Parts: sequence; structure tokens; C-alpha cells
Amino acid sequence: MIKRQVLLYYLCISLLLFGCADPKILERVSLAILVGYDVEEEDKVTATVALRTVNQELQSVVSIASQTEKTSKGTRIKASLDSTKQIVAGQLRVILLGKKLAESGINEALHTTKMNSEMSSGLYFAIVDGETKPLIEKKYENISDIGQHIFYLLDHNIEEQTILSSTLHETVRDSYSPYIDMALPLLVQDEDDVHISGLAIFNGDKMVGKLVGSDPFYVVLVREKYNAGSIQLSIPGEPFKNLSDEIPDEIAMAIDSIFSKRKIELLNKDTPEFEIDVKVEGRILEIPPSITTEDPEVIKKLETEVEKKFEREISRIIKKTQELNSDVFGFGEVYKAHVGTKNVDKKKWKELYPTIKVNANVTVKLLRNGVFD
Amino acid sequence: MKQATQSKQYEKINAFLIFFVIVSCQIGVGIHGFQRVIYEEAKQDAWISVVLSFILAHIVVFIMFKTLEKFDGLDIYGIQKEVFGKILGKFLNLLYVIYCTFAFFAVLKNYIEVVNTWVFPYVNARFIAIAILLIVIYAVTGGLRVIVGISFFSFFFLLWIPPVLIFPLYYSNPNFLLPIMEDWAGILRGVYLMSFTIVGFEILNIIYPYIKEKERKNANKYAQIGLLATFFLYITIMLITIMYFSGPQLERVIWATLTIFNIIEFPFVERIEIITICLWLLIVLPNLCLYLWAAYRGVSSIFKIELKKFIWIFASIIFIFTFIIRSRTEINTMNNYFGQISFYVVFVYPFLLYLFASIKKRRRKGTGDSS
Repeated sequence: MIKRQVLLYYLCISLLLFGCADPKILERVSLAILVGYDVEEEDKVTATVALRTVNQELQSVVSIASQTEKTSKGTRIKASLDSTKQIVAGQLRVILLGKKLAESGINEALHTTKMNSEMSSGLYFAIVDGETKPLIEKKYENISDIGQHIFYLLDHNIEEQTILSSTLHETVRDSYSPYIDMALPLLVQDEDDVHISGLAIFNGDKMVGKLVGSDPFYVVLVREKYNAGSIQLSIPGEPFKNLSDEIPDEIAMAIDSIFSKRKIELLNKDTPEFEIDVKVEGRILEIPPSITTEDPEVIKKLETEVEKKFEREISRIIKKTQELNSDVFGFGEVYKAHVGTKNVDKKKWKELYPTIKVNANVTVKLLRNGVFD
Repeated sequence: MKQATQSKQYEKINAFLIFFVIVSCQIGVGIHGFQRVIYEEAKQDAWISVVLSFILAHIVVFIMFKTLEKFDGLDIYGIQKEVFGKILGKFLNLLYVIYCTFAFFAVLKNYIEVVNTWVFPYVNARFIAIAILLIVIYAVTGGLRVIVGISFFSFFFLLWIPPVLIFPLYYSNPNFLLPIMEDWAGILRGVYLMSFTIVGFEILNIIYPYIKEKERKNANKYAQIGLLATFFLYITIMLITIMYFSGPQLERVIWATLTIFNIIEFPFVERIEIITICLWLLIVLPNLCLYLWAAYRGVSSIFKIELKKFIWIFASIIFIFTFIIRSRTEINTMNNYFGQISFYVVFVYPFLLYLFASIKKRRRKGTGDSS
């Protein structure tokens, strides 16, 4: 009986001692929030890290460290030599990749990140049009913490579906899949700001081009379901000329509260030919005052014009990705699902993709407008 | 029949507890990363492998009960002695004990590896081994009723898994499941590889005499329900995994289940898998206890030894083994061997035993021999 008691005491003690196993005290660590990778000469990588440290007065301080080494852990070890505190990556929110690195292939950066169990699968990837180092190191007037700033920039845009979601998990998933290509958010450094300019599109693990302006909207439209999208577009004014004399040649309008559903079907295995069915529902937010939306005929006309515009844009973007051979829409997944994994591999799909035919069918329903006709 | 298997009345358990024993013994470390192994063979049809392997398991459990019912009140060690004679029987008992030891070690080592990789990269694996072994020693010295009690509790620690699996559905793509039934040979190889994950229910062979006599008829029913419960958990995890990862990505993810948990983020906990792994000790514990206890039953059928003494010797042997197998590659090789061995012990041997047992019974009836 005494023996059992001793054992019990031992267990209690070891339970308490487990806390001492690997302590990470907040005041003694630097939290990496944002990392940027740039390629240097001789296959070396420069990592620029935005760090956040908490000092004894409980103020958090943001600092930047930058090192050049062959591996990312190497840069971290080297950065540790400069830092008074241990650098930990558990709070990492965003990884930025320079354009040059993206064009030479990002597989290695993805693999390193995924291999480390410290990293959360939910962190975001983004490409910088240019180099990441000046973007992170610059002192902006209105941005106190560049790491947080870029994280929130990406986070709310992904939530509002203006760009594709680029979490570590989704990026790795697309990069390893032979039947879909990655499309990551593209950041641009301004005079005194950082903003999202569009999507960087990839062929395999190499960046081959970018989609800017309203193009990302259509990529999201084909790839995902919209729960709350919005778009600003212009349609030709020609069909509305009979309404009033003031109709401009180009009608600029904005639609929001967009709900969409999409279906991709394989029509013909041999060509191959696909059909995209997109159903869009939305609300008119802005339209020139000369167009009276109370008339159902006008609404119907508007709908057909918007449909045509959507179809044109989708076809144009698909054509562009075909030229760059970057299947960001995931037609390959649909094709594979029909013909089987044995009949199509990465190489074959890459040969097929520029030749596929896609028919886009868009149905638009404008449900309502604002409070004033 | 004066085997040690004749257990005392107060040590016996109710039949419905078999349900908890089965579930807690089946779910252990395999669930962390079985998807990858199956996927490598069966591709997007990996879930069919899971279905088939569970159908097989149901049949095996049925056969196990048929064998056990033939020799009422004996466990597998007693039956082997009865069927194969004293010497060969004891030898087979020894092999079964070695199997249980191997299973114990595989569970322990895999769990420690997960802890080392995800939570505490700088903590010595042997320190964790000692800590876990002491808990196991503490539990098993309490006897079977305590072990079954732990199984009962650990079942409730599994219940949080299904609701948590809703979150990754947001990232899932049903297209990854297509095309269905592409490669039957691959699916069957997947069934074979499932054995590492699915085993655990062979504990029935040993626990059977400890079920109250009056309720033994129902034990089969509860065991089958237990299998069904595990099946639902495994199939859900498998389906979500296939939809969540793209194929070549899944082939490189070592612990797919933990990686899925990785993306879940709550305002109050950012990294849920770290907590999960620590909680997992309570899920792994009944595994360890039951295998240790099964090994003890086997050894005590060969020669007389006290439970306490045996536990300490057993724990020391296991501890020494942790010095030998250390790296990931060694653990993977060990898992492969254990998977193969467990397939034969759990899925093939029960049929053979049933065959021999029926022959033996029939012959005895024929000659009127009674021993």
C-alpha cells in the first residue's frame, strides 16, 4: 500500500514538473509575425522578419531582422545571434515571397514551412510585386506594425472574397495537386502604403503572370461560391439609348451582395470541352440616374448585358491563363474525376490545358436595388 | 480445468462494458496518421478500404466469439493449451505474449514520437517514456476493473473529435473523391494495411472469461456495436481527409489527422492540436493498460508469477527497448512489421484456431474422451 502511495506522489510531482519541460516565457521570446523571403545570388535566401517583443513594462515593440542564408532555419539561427531573445514562429501570420523567388519556384519555401510543426496551417501566403525586404523594412507613416497590417489586409479581403484564400494548407494543397495551379494574392508597395493589386498565377511552382484589376473577381466566381461579393463593371450603353438621351456609351455600375453558385461539367472527353454554369444573384448598388430601374424591361435588359459582360470576361481570363498554361480554375480536377487518374497525369494535363474549350453560361438575377429608384 | 483463467466473481465485468473496451482499445495512435498509408495504395478509394476492413473485422469478432463459446470460461491462452496440447500451447501462448508486448511498445513509441515532434521537441523521449510507464504501472496494479474503468472514461474523451471535424469541411473539395473504384488491387492492399490501425479488438480473446457468465451471450452484440462506433469515427476521418488534402499532398503528410486539426482556430486557443495531443494520453492509456494486462494473463498461463512483479519486469523491458528504437525511420520500420504481424495474428489466426478447435471438439465427442 505504501508503495502505491509513493507511486502516486511521484506521478503528482512529474505532472507538475511537465510544465518545466520546454518553457517559453513571453518576455523572453520574440514572436515572428511576418516573414519575407527573397532570392539572392548563389541560391541564397534572404529572410526579413517582422518581430514583436514584449518587454517588462508590457509594451510591445516591433522590430525587423534580416539575414541571408541557404535554409530558412539557417537565417533564423543567424538572426538569433543578433537578437537578445529567442525567436519563435508559432505566431507567424503571413509569409511573403518576392517576385524573383516566385518566378524561380516556391516549392522549397512551401515545403520548409509545412515541415515545421510550429507553423499553423492557417497562415497566409502572398507574393510581392518586387522585393519583400524593402516592403517590410520601410517605415510607413500610417502603419505602426507592418506584420499586423499585412495580416489584416489579407484577412479581410479573403473573408470578403475579393481574392482567393491563400492559407498555408490551401497553397500546399494546390501546389501538390497535378490538376490545379496556384493563384496567390499579389501585394504592391506604394509610396506610403501596401495594397493588394490582384492575383499572381502559377504554372507548377513558378509564377508566370498576374491578374489585376477586376480579374480576381471572375477567378473567384468560377472557383468558389460567393457569399457576399461585390463588383464594379461597365456595360455598353447602346441597348439603353431609347430610354433617354443622356445615356452614356459606357454604363458604369456596381453590384454587391452577390451570391453565386457554379458548376463545371465536362461535355466532351476527347477535345476536351467544358461547360461552366454560373448563377449570380445580386443587388444593384450604383447605376447612372438616367436609367430607371422600376421598369422590369430595363432590369431584364440590364441582366442580359451583365451576363454577356461576365461571359466575355470569364472567357478572356481563361484564354489568358491558357496562354500562360496556368489552370487556376481547377478544370483538371473535373477532367480527372471523369477519365480517372490513370489516364491523365501532370504532364498530359499541362499539354491539354491550352487546348481545352470552355463555354461559359452565366445567369444573372438582379434582385433589388437600394431605397431610391 | 484448473486454469488460472477461472476468475473470481468480484473481478467480473458487465457485458456492456465490452463496448467501451473495444472502442478504447481500437482507437489509439493509428488514427493520427493511418490515412496516408492507406491512400498510398488505394488512392481516392481509401475509404472503401476502411469499409472492407471493418466488414472483415466484424466477421473476425464473430468467429472469435464462436471459438470462445466452445470452451466456456477459457481465454485464448487456455484454449490454445486445450487444443494444441501443453507444450505447443504454451509456446503459442508465449508468441501471443510477445505480440501483446510488441503492440504495447508500438503504441507507446508512436505516441512519444508525436509528442516529440509536435509539442516538446527538446524533451528527452525516455523521460516521457518513464512518465507514461509509471502511469500505466499505477493503473494496471489496480487490476482489470480499474483498467476497464479507464477504458470507460477514455471513451468520453473521444467524443469531442466528431464536432471538431466540422471545421475542416469548409476547406474540403468533394471532387477529390472521384473517380470511385478505380483500382481494386490497391483497395485490397489498403485493407491489408489497415490492420495496424484497426487492431485492438483481439483483447476479447483474453477478457472474455471476465464477463459475467449470465451476460456472456450479449457480449458479442456489444463488441459488434463497439466496432461499429469505431468504424463511424474512422470513416468520417478518412472521408474528410481525402476531401481536405490533394492526393500528392496527402502522400507527404505524416499525421494527417493532426494536420487537419492544425487549421482550426478559436479565439481562445489558436493551436488546438497541441491540446489534442496532450489529451491523447488519456486515449492511449487504456490501450497500453489492456495490452500489458493481456501479456500478464499470457505469462501467468505459462508459469506462476505475481502481477506486481510482472508489471515491473515488463516495464523495464519496454524501457530498455526505447533505447534501441529511436529515430523516425526505425519507428516506421517497426510499424510496418507490426502491421504485418498484427494482420496475421488478428485477421488470419482466429479462423485457424476456430478450425482446430472444431476438429478437436468433434474428435473428443466421437471418442467420448474427456480430460
